[in-house]
Amino acid sequence: MISKLLTEATPSFAWRKKAGNWRTEVFAGLVGAILVIPQGITFAYLAGLQPEYGLYCAIFVTLFCSLLGSSSMMSGPNTAVAILIGTAVLPLAGRGSPIYIDFVFLLCMMVGIIQLVFWLARGARIFQYLSPAAISGISAGAGFLIIMSSLDSILDLSTFKTTFFYEKLYVIISDAVDLVNPYSLAIGVTTILAGYLGRRYSPRYFIIIAVTAGYLCGLLVAFIWPQPVTELEYLGRMPLEWLPFSIPNINMEYLMISTQLIPYAITIAFIGLAQSLVIVRELKMETDQDIDLDKEVYAQGVANFLAPFFSGFAGAGSFNRTRANQSMGATTPLSGITAAGFVLVLITFLGPILTYMPMAAMAGTLFIVGADMIKWRDLKHYAQVRSELVIYLATFVSIMFFGLAEGVVVAVFLSVSVFLLRISQLELTIDSGDSGTVLKVKGALFYASVAHLTEKFHRHFGEDLTVDLQYTTHIDQSAVDFFIRESRHMAAHGARLTLLINEKQRNFLKKLGASTDIHLVSL
Amino acid sequence: MKISPVLTLTAMLLLAFTPAHAQQNQPGIAQLLREPFLDDYYSNVVYGYEIITDTQKNAGRYVGNSLQCSNCHLQAGTQQDALPLNVAGMYPKWRAKNGKRNGIGLRIRECFLYSMDGIMPPEDAPEVLAISAYVTYLSQGQVMGAEPEGRGVPTLPDTGYDPNPASGRAVYLAQCASCHGERGEGTSAMPPVWGMNAYNKGAGMNDIRKAAGFIWANMPLGNGKSLTHQQALDVSAYLNLQIRPADPRDSKLLKLLEHLLN
Repeated sequence: MISKLLTEATPSFAWRKKAGNWRTEVFAGLVGAILVIPQGITFAYLAGLQPEYGLYCAIFVTLFCSLLGSSSMMSGPNTAVAILIGTAVLPLAGRGSPIYIDFVFLLCMMVGIIQLVFWLARGARIFQYLSPAAISGISAGAGFLIIMSSLDSILDLSTFKTTFFYEKLYVIISDAVDLVNPYSLAIGVTTILAGYLGRRYSPRYFIIIAVTAGYLCGLLVAFIWPQPVTELEYLGRMPLEWLPFSIPNINMEYLMISTQLIPYAITIAFIGLAQSLVIVRELKMETDQDIDLDKEVYAQGVANFLAPFFSGFAGAGSFNRTRANQSMGATTPLSGITAAGFVLVLITFLGPILTYMPMAAMAGTLFIVGADMIKWRDLKHYAQVRSELVIYLATFVSIMFFGLAEGVVVAVFLSVSVFLLRISQLELTIDSGDSGTVLKVKGALFYASVAHLTEKFHRHFGEDLTVDLQYTTHIDQSAVDFFIRESRHMAAHGARLTLLINEKQRNFLKKLGASTDIHLVSL
Repeated sequence: MKISPVLTLTAMLLLAFTPAHAQQNQPGIAQLLREPFLDDYYSNVVYGYEIITDTQKNAGRYVGNSLQCSNCHLQAGTQQDALPLNVAGMYPKWRAKNGKRNGIGLRIRECFLYSMDGIMPPEDAPEVLAISAYVTYLSQGQVMGAEPEGRGVPTLPDTGYDPNPASGRAVYLAQCASCHGERGEGTSAMPPVWGMNAYNKGAGMNDIRKAAGFIWANMPLGNGKSLTHQQALDVSAYLNLQIRPADPRDSKLLKLLEHLLN
């Protein structure tokens, strides 16, 4: 056990052998870096911090997750995590003050520790129960959310809050003349069109084509109209240090106050892990990567624990960047590692050029990525089985209305329920021959499935009954109790119950004292 | 009618404990900085104060040169005749500069575009909100719509002579160059006054009369009003002749090249 944990805890670099095309990986890393820069800035604001912290998160959380993990998942700043950090810490300290930052760092370390505990408890198993339909539903829902949030920047909407997505669409459409910034819309549309056209000619590099087209369109707009007229939002300058070491302040007073943060830390830890593990499951489903879920949990935990030491805040897996990474053809953690390096390199050497990157161009790219995540093919595929379709649609709709975290909960719940319903089904066949009635039971006999047997027993009441348990996968105590009860009842009416069992079941039944009442025949 | 002594006493007590100007009893900035926990408004005020005093660190995203807000808004915007920031009551107002009604937000955003030679932050940027909060905080007790005492810079009277850049250069080298450098490049503590790291040609300081008012009232730092009006005008004219980033409203190509080269 301990040696297994140790192998999980050390970076394996097993991907080195199969990293056939390192050029693809490095290029995917470049795209990841371009996509993460505006996200890091925006999410830092959501967390109530200055933009550098988001970029350090984009560099170091991504780096640690990819170094220690086993998949091509892109981690880093995450919307839900950033919003939760903001809501957790704002009541404790003023935004942007040194104490605020101390508390954010403390919270992130707590998140990391909780995730490491989750790793030790092998908690990743929960996510094995997510059915493929649920994962596709979550992915489609995340795509929808990405599209909706990219609209903000494409249309240059200033912040207005709506509860549900259709309200937002309604407001945008009914008030388009006042709300929509035509310059921003032009840049966004150019980016999206260039992306879709570019995919025809170069399916691998279309994201770069889209971003470049958006940037050039932004320059064109800036040549003709000055910024006070266009009101465009640009990326701006980002002074970064190469090694932003910081030692989080921890003292008794902080620890006393930070007990208030524990519920938030737990929520953040689970929401972060849920998203990351769903992404990893999806990657496992769609690619042939050799992915270890527990190792990913460990990587997330360590990355979030170490983030404060590098002036970053906690992060999680990112749907949009992983999807872009995947469409660039990356299959190993190398793309994540290079993405982290590229953020630093891009900002240091291309800072002045990136300053004039319109946010609308970035959002246009995200729009394409989000639209890619909603796949018509998936819907058709799952429409063939009713229960799968229900899971897929319910997950998608609940994400549309309530958000990603809630959608993941719904997906886990539905998947587990369908799974339970399915395994509590028994396959019962009845042979009425000379030697009496033989009932063959296939499936697992436990408290939930015993009810199905009752009906058969009632129908053949008063006859000698032989129950064949050879193909039964599992028998629990309540099933044995049921047989004992029925056997006594039948004996009182002159009938006899015989069980055909194997050696393992025999020991279990004997232990529970079934042999006195039931006739057991071992095969 | 007989007044009950108890009632009289109560009334007197009430009068004694009612603050005359409740709104002016706000904590000072030094006290706010020491305070570990602040509400939303005051934490924005402190954040705004930190942006004003260390713009490069706290709002570097939107800044294109090496100035700080407090280089012109002396004493973090509290000094009279040095563009004090207690002007929340004057906005929104119409300004000739852009020919429209300006809220305090737009005014702050344009500072980033011209004086800081950077890009305009979006209107809902946290930095803009924080500076607005700080301006509101400084404006407590001012009369709405009335001009606060010492607003902007003093307008110098007509001296009867044109500003002379040549004599301005002599004054600059004698009085200003020790801090701002012979080539106007500034030092780590003192701001550059021309060159590509200074304010651009769209900034208010690029107006000879405004800059002269500022120079006369505040320069040399700590020894303000020591120059004559004519000397201030001459120095201002000299500064105005120097090279500096272009006005972002025109020559966009140049502007872009500047940013790419910087």
